[in-house]
Amino acid sequence: MLSKVSKDWLGAGFVTVLGLAILIFVPILFDLFEVLQMTKYVVLSLFVLSLAYIWGFGGILSFGQAGFFGLGGYVFAVAAINMGQTTVPFLIAIGACALFAAALGYFMFYGRLNDVYLGVVTLVVTLILWKLINHTAGPEYIIGKARLGGFNGIPSIPIMTLPWRPGQEMEPAQMFQYFMAILIAVYVLLHALIKSKFGRVAISIRENEVRTGLLGYDVRFYKLCIFSIGGAIGGAAGAMWASYQTFVDPNIFSLEWSAKCLIWVMAGGVGTLFGPIVGVLALEYLSFQLGQTELINNLIVLGTILIFLVLLLPKGLFPTARDLVVKVWRRRGGSTGKGSP
Amino acid sequence: MDFSLVVAIELLREVAGLILIATGLAVIFGMMRVINIAHGEFMMLGGYTVVLTTKLGVNIWVAILILAPLAVGLFGIIVERLIIRHLYGRIIDSLLATWGLSLFLIGFVTVVFGNTVEGVSTPFSGLAIGQYTVAIYTLFLIFAAMAFIASVYLTLRYTKAGLIARATMQNPDMVECLGVNSKIVYMATFGIGAAFAGLAGGLLAPISGVVPGMGALLIGKAFITVVTGGAAVVAGTLSAAGILGTISQAVTFASGPVFGDATLLFVALILLRLLPQGITGRIFTRSV
Amino acid sequence: MTAERAILTTSRLTMRFGGVVAVDQVDFTLKTGELRCLIGPNGAGKSTFFKCLTGQLKPTAGSILFADRELSGKNTHDIVRQGIGIKTQVPNLFDGLPARENIALSARQRHSQKRSEEITDEMLELIRITALAHREVGSLAHGERQLIELAMVLAGQPRLVLLDEPAAGMTAEERGRLASALRDLAGRMSLIVVEHDMQFIKDIATEITVFHRGRVFIEGDVAEIMAHHEVQEIYLGKEADGAA
Repeated sequence: MLSKVSKDWLGAGFVTVLGLAILIFVPILFDLFEVLQMTKYVVLSLFVLSLAYIWGFGGILSFGQAGFFGLGGYVFAVAAINMGQTTVPFLIAIGACALFAAALGYFMFYGRLNDVYLGVVTLVVTLILWKLINHTAGPEYIIGKARLGGFNGIPSIPIMTLPWRPGQEMEPAQMFQYFMAILIAVYVLLHALIKSKFGRVAISIRENEVRTGLLGYDVRFYKLCIFSIGGAIGGAAGAMWASYQTFVDPNIFSLEWSAKCLIWVMAGGVGTLFGPIVGVLALEYLSFQLGQTELINNLIVLGTILIFLVLLLPKGLFPTARDLVVKVWRRRGGSTGKGSP
Repeated sequence: MDFSLVVAIELLREVAGLILIATGLAVIFGMMRVINIAHGEFMMLGGYTVVLTTKLGVNIWVAILILAPLAVGLFGIIVERLIIRHLYGRIIDSLLATWGLSLFLIGFVTVVFGNTVEGVSTPFSGLAIGQYTVAIYTLFLIFAAMAFIASVYLTLRYTKAGLIARATMQNPDMVECLGVNSKIVYMATFGIGAAFAGLAGGLLAPISGVVPGMGALLIGKAFITVVTGGAAVVAGTLSAAGILGTISQAVTFASGPVFGDATLLFVALILLRLLPQGITGRIFTRSV
Repeated sequence: MTAERAILTTSRLTMRFGGVVAVDQVDFTLKTGELRCLIGPNGAGKSTFFKCLTGQLKPTAGSILFADRELSGKNTHDIVRQGIGIKTQVPNLFDGLPARENIALSARQRHSQKRSEEITDEMLELIRITALAHREVGSLAHGERQLIELAMVLAGQPRLVLLDEPAAGMTAEERGRLASALRDLAGRMSLIVVEHDMQFIKDIATEITVFHRGRVFIEGDVAEIMAHHEVQEIYLGKEADGAA
């Protein structure tokens, strides 16, 4: 029993230690600009976890994860501007996204929509949010002190403070550490959830939905919970993004963000939490480098990568590479495994 | 009286618009159960075909009614050969691949033509109804949509190709047993769906102008219409476009166009909650 | 057939698809501990009737009483939780997992980790598939998968088990194992088996219900039904229909 538990947690423990090391040493070793750049990767890593979890461990493929990212950003912006502090608005943003996901999930899962419909509905919801927010440029669209600003976006969003130090904006290095701590915490919590009974049932649903229902589990309810958790994480990432940029505009809802999130997960491999984070780092670094040359349109790159991943590497870039390494290793070292595929 | 006539025309315009943008998507969905996420970009390409060819001096009607569907239809066949055919049986993967194509096309067209709106002049002027003016082009669009859906219906109903198509919709596995090469059926389906998108894009170009990102503005409604309609191409598109168009137009009159879209989605969600297979999944199950 | 001994009763159960009445006002009673076979030609309505019982279809009208609780209109998972085990026609398993874990997942719905391990062992023994315990089920033969699914259903400790053509695709040896397992189970729980194969039915059945054109045509024990002239005609008639 104990060995099984420790095996479950070996990889996750390694990742956690790695994360803590990054949390501690990055602000010491790198300059301000680099720390800011890496803060961005941390936020996007949290964003990708939302999809990596619901798709990889619940079998729910959302084409509109940017909807939660954007909603979290906007709710945080409006609440923070009105309340003059950031901790409660952060929680409100997370709660609002979880509720929104639950409401949407009710229609999708209790209506038993199939995968194609699910993809289309999530995508359309994001499109509509994008359109709605785009049309709020007029002065009549104001919530308390916050003007929604339509396509101009909302400027001067407060920088987050530490929960125990309200009124004192975080330094870039502090923000990096705070966000990194949140990322690690979410990672560990998700890992624990996946290993729990709830998580095992969720995986059964991914593997065989009909059978799981026949065992007496309410598939719709489980999916609703998974989707809401994903929504909450996406919303948290959105709030952090808005605070990090101190600005948010309707393009946060764009299909490009949803597509990026999908591509990161696909590249990193569906069915892991760590892989998609590697996907974020690798592909964002790539697009950062390409963006500096300004020769190639970012959308062309994204589209090409997506088609390439689907056609050639359906398992994902990094899992394929890992399998390849394992294969070569086995061939060299003779057959040591039990021969299970 | 005049006002109600204008309202009726506006309503029909909305329904006609939904029919135009959704039919190509519905054909591909009905036959292959694949939602072509790049559908909006196919329309965009149709629009650009019209802009380019009219600039070169081609008659606008030739550009809209012949060149736009032809060019995009051919493009669709190429896409099917290069990408989609590798993904049969992997529906979600084909959605993802068409999404990749969508992003690629937006990026590509932005690089080539720039991120600016290109216009085409409207072929007709306005028509006065009492104190109101209605663009004759609007009436033409309504007429075109009706002719369009009628021709799809007649083709499905009375031609051999239509018979094969209906058989495919009912039971895709049986098509080979009828002695038909299913590969060609799927290739033709994707080409025809793309051609319809091209035609829709061409027809809408004089009204909205064309811009690389225009697909995103159109596909939301097209997706909702098709998903709400279900798998039957004509009955599904007509019933969904009728219901959703009417509701969205009513809300637009009451509170502006933004909430029209949101209401559309909300109504569609409720319909899907009640009829998960779309309207034609439950009600007109034997229709085409 | 007194009311208090009946575990499942349907009254005027009806299922319509558009204009087609697939199940037409069926009154059906199953006694506690009984093993009943449902037979009938294709399209007779037995599969539709079965799907109404499992909640995969929502009946148009009528009621289904299981231990005095109404099941009609309930969702499948609710029905399962009432104590009904469902074995579908096509094996529905978690292909990526070993047989053992498949069965344990079923037991885990109601029991602790430790207890479900014990139940799993009992079930493996009962169906005599202990040899398959650590094999990944995706790699097993159809008949073996059927047996594993049966073990999985039983691990949920149902009071009533519904089986849709459990012997389909099995070797003669597997059929024997299945038949003896079902005979053992009868009495300890109630079972309804939808089946085509007459030889298999002879091996297991006591009571048979014959469906024809959406209705219960006749009920009786194996010998009676086999000897029944009209039942033979229905089956022959089916072949005539099939040719047309």
